[in-house]
Amino acid sequence: MEVGKIISIFEISVEVVVSDNTIKIGDVLEAVDNSKYRFEVIEITNTTALCISLNSTRGLKKGTIVKKVDDGLKMEYSDALMGRIFDAYGEVLDNKEFKSINKKFINNNTVSMKDLNVESSMLKTGIKVIDFFAPMQKGFKMGLLGGAGVGKTVLIKELIYNLYNASKINSIFVGIGERSREGKELYDDIVSSNLLDNMTMVFGQMSKNPVVRSKCVQTGLVAAEYLRDEKKGDVLLFIDNIYRYIQARSEISMELKEMLVGNGYPSSTAAEVSKIEERLGSTKDGTITSFQAIYIPADDYNDDAVQNVVSYMDGQIVLDRHIAELGIYPAIDVFKSTSRLVDKDKIGERHFKLVEETLRYLTRYQELEEIIAVLGIDELSDEDKNIFHRSRKLRYYFSQPLHVSEQFTNIKGEYVELDDVLNDVENILNGTYDNVDEKEFFYIGKYNAH
Amino acid sequence: MDLNIDKVIDDIKKDNNIFSAGKVIKVNEYNIEVSGLIDVAFYDEVDIAGKAKGYVFAIHPNKVIVSLTEIEDKIMPGDLVYSLNKEYKCLFSTDSIGKVVDIFGNDLIAGKKFNNLIEVSIDGLDIPLMDRTSVERSLLTGISGIDLMYPIGRGQRQLIIGDKKTGKTQICLDTIVNQKDKNVICIYVAIGKTKKEVKEIYYDLTKNGAISYTIVMASFNDELPTKSYLTPYVALSVAEELMLQSFDVLVIVDDLKKHADIYRQISLTSNKVPGRDAYPSDIFYAHARMLEKGCQHKSGGSVTILPIVETKAGDITDYISTNIISITDGQIVLSKKNFDKGQKPAINYGLSVSRLGAAVQSKELSKIGSKLRRELLAYLDVKDIYELSDPSELSPALKESIDRGNKMINDLKQYKYSPKSESEMQTLFSYVERVEKEG
Repeated sequence: MEVGKIISIFEISVEVVVSDNTIKIGDVLEAVDNSKYRFEVIEITNTTALCISLNSTRGLKKGTIVKKVDDGLKMEYSDALMGRIFDAYGEVLDNKEFKSINKKFINNNTVSMKDLNVESSMLKTGIKVIDFFAPMQKGFKMGLLGGAGVGKTVLIKELIYNLYNASKINSIFVGIGERSREGKELYDDIVSSNLLDNMTMVFGQMSKNPVVRSKCVQTGLVAAEYLRDEKKGDVLLFIDNIYRYIQARSEISMELKEMLVGNGYPSSTAAEVSKIEERLGSTKDGTITSFQAIYIPADDYNDDAVQNVVSYMDGQIVLDRHIAELGIYPAIDVFKSTSRLVDKDKIGERHFKLVEETLRYLTRYQELEEIIAVLGIDELSDEDKNIFHRSRKLRYYFSQPLHVSEQFTNIKGEYVELDDVLNDVENILNGTYDNVDEKEFFYIGKYNAH
Repeated sequence: MDLNIDKVIDDIKKDNNIFSAGKVIKVNEYNIEVSGLIDVAFYDEVDIAGKAKGYVFAIHPNKVIVSLTEIEDKIMPGDLVYSLNKEYKCLFSTDSIGKVVDIFGNDLIAGKKFNNLIEVSIDGLDIPLMDRTSVERSLLTGISGIDLMYPIGRGQRQLIIGDKKTGKTQICLDTIVNQKDKNVICIYVAIGKTKKEVKEIYYDLTKNGAISYTIVMASFNDELPTKSYLTPYVALSVAEELMLQSFDVLVIVDDLKKHADIYRQISLTSNKVPGRDAYPSDIFYAHARMLEKGCQHKSGGSVTILPIVETKAGDITDYISTNIISITDGQIVLSKKNFDKGQKPAINYGLSVSRLGAAVQSKELSKIGSKLRRELLAYLDVKDIYELSDPSELSPALKESIDRGNKMINDLKQYKYSPKSESEMQTLFSYVERVEKEG
């Protein structure tokens, strides 16, 4: 059905003079003579429809006739999505045969308060810093925050290794605006370890236009909702990286000449984020546990977009460039990493006290570093010397050989039980290990006393 | 191509195709507004009365904005503008190797156009995810601080970042020189540099016998900003084309901070809404789609990219730097302090990263490299704490590890254009492994 004619084109923003007044927001239009040009309607008047182009507009002619092809973008909503890799528009990327059974619109409703379930059981990740400082339970949203190149993706990959590979719980990986190389390597890793069956991947990498990048998160959510609502099971959702979604939305806003506020984000950022995050709820049918990498632009932790997403998280792990500089990975800032579970009633008195005491030591250590820079270490009191040396041991102890970074460290990766972590931390704090050299704690799993 | 223009002019004279012609209604430095041009597609090539060339930048209901790339004569309102009804492309000659060229097919040292030109599309489609394979073959720089600890693989994007005068370009030139007889075609892209700088680089590469496999693709700071903006995209299109023919290509982009500033200038003059630091919101995408051309392709070919970013006061956490760090597969950070201390190459070993690590290294180098890095970083951390202590009061173990750290720092120093082979590096740093075993 022909519905109009293109009158203006600027990058991804396209305006159509409509000859049909049934056009709605969200409709998908297509050039009559070339199916590679497709558009989504985002604003309508009596005579015109403003669209964003789903693909590049290069070579698109003024005056092109467009037809309506669908009421909205769709994603597969059936068992056919398991073990497959999709692009943002729900097309398979793996060059293998694909038969669609049932499709669903990607703009879906959020979970209602009636259906929302908040009770749940603990979830161990086997990564020392996470289980100790930011313990998790099923259905949690865990934010992994970090500036450029401090190890967010490595941590996400390790979580996939520890959680998905061990349990084969149905999982979704959504790659948004990240490196194509990493996406392909992750896919290859999962295929080569024969683990693809329960994994669905959706990619809109950084080489793609902003429309692709902004749509792929919703496409991934449809898959997660299918696994929760239809398969009635627990789901792991890995998003790398949710900041890129907001960034892509800003780019679209800019192309549409909308007014941008602080640091170039559209004023609707909060609303956009809520539409995504509120869909990720757990119901009586199943939980969605999500790990969301959050990029910190210009190392500005207080960035609007970052703070917006963080407000939805149940826990957060913050990666720090200064720790990375010391070669300690995962490079976690223990002062900013925490979760809703860090509470005496939830994790028990022993764990809670150890977290408090560790933070007290490390805070004092920071002060001592400044003193030492001026006076030298010899001037410290005996108690401060103890704190100083034990803190350094703790700092080293919270490094961990990861399975997915064996190629950097040449050390075998380790899954560490929380009980071992609690014992080791207790022993470092109470001085049992005072005679052990600090380097012995560097890149180990649990500490084996000789 | 010339035929095509003649035909179009002919058509216009005969009023055959008047919809593809329009008139200039407004002119500024590198944009013009055109009215009456109806039969036109986004990104079409446009000719302005034989005086200038450009491409369609935006189509509005009653006018078209054209970005100019080449201006030979002054444009006046009323000048005839016609669309060539084909995508805007740049020109490249297969004879470019060993030459300094621009994106319009000019041999800049000889001062004339090449004869056998082919069209290169700018910034075309991205490389499909499934056509990429893992990066695992090494590309040695000959610099031990890099090859041992922050190795670069064919298909990797490794950022070189640091202040002015810290040896960023030098590291790239060293890397080009080290590709002699290694079947790598190198492309050095100069963005908005001075003619003098580019000519010096050309001489340096010639003197070191590296020009025979290198193309220098340049845009200068006194040229149109659109040209400087397009230059790296064209260079990477050329590199991609070579990669698809199974060649290994190394592309140096010098530098992306300049490129970002030029893009900001173009965006602001074309009324794009400014974002952080007044850069347009799609500055990340502008660099991401450029650098994503770097990959190991299933054809066997690869494109390795070493982009350069200049920082101020050693701050690598500003907007553009962190953007690019989040695109590349690692970064070599250069420090002014190290440079001034005579520690050259002035690598900041703490802040530098290679995300591919041992995957692109020989087993021998990786074994030494990972231990060297761990020990070096531990040394740099401890050094500050005990700087004020009396050396005679330090424990012998501590004293020894500090001495070893000093030795490592010294052994990592290397003069320009004096690449080391893998076996030389192994011999030089064999002690790293030996002593740790005894301990």
